[in-house]
Amino acid sequence: MNRKHLALLLLAGCVFVVPKLEAQIKHIEMRVEGMT
Amino acid sequence: MKQHLQRQSGVANVEVSLIDGKVNVTPKEDGQIEPAQLLKATYDSGVTVAELDMTASGTIVKDTSGNLSLQIKPNQSFVISPSELSKGLEPLVGLATVVTVRGQLYKKPVGKQKKADNSAPLKLLILEVKKE
Repeated sequence: MNRKHLALLLLAGCVFVVPKLEAQIKHIEMRVEGMT
Repeated sequence: MKQHLQRQSGVANVEVSLIDGKVNVTPKEDGQIEPAQLLKATYDSGVTVAELDMTASGTIVKDTSGNLSLQIKPNQSFVISPSELSKGLEPLVGLATVVTVRGQLYKKPVGKQKKADNSAPLKLLILEVKKE
């Protein structure tokens, strides 16, 4: 029983700790004219 | 203009370079930034946008019309303009693979038409597919 809980805990830890490449807008660059 | 842009939702930071006319917008990590809103906010501040480039991560999907799109969020995606680089993304259609691309979302039309057509959806012309 304890082993099962430990395995589940490890699994949950992997899901949250392993960095995931997230879909998102990372950067926007604009070239503008008429700026003073 | 900086204040105009910083008020937009999802914007964390705005850096303006007067020398070369460049505006760098850093989105909030958990926020949703809308490039079309940035274009509008810039025009509203009395400045003309010549070009807007975006770096984004997302999955490659095909929309109902068969166009390749970069899906960033369930409610946010950009149709990809066909090009040599976009052809290389076709094998990723429907996969959960997240790719990072840099692309041009807007370029000022050449000629008399100066104002951006806000009604037209922005198309993403892939300039670079980044290796993660």
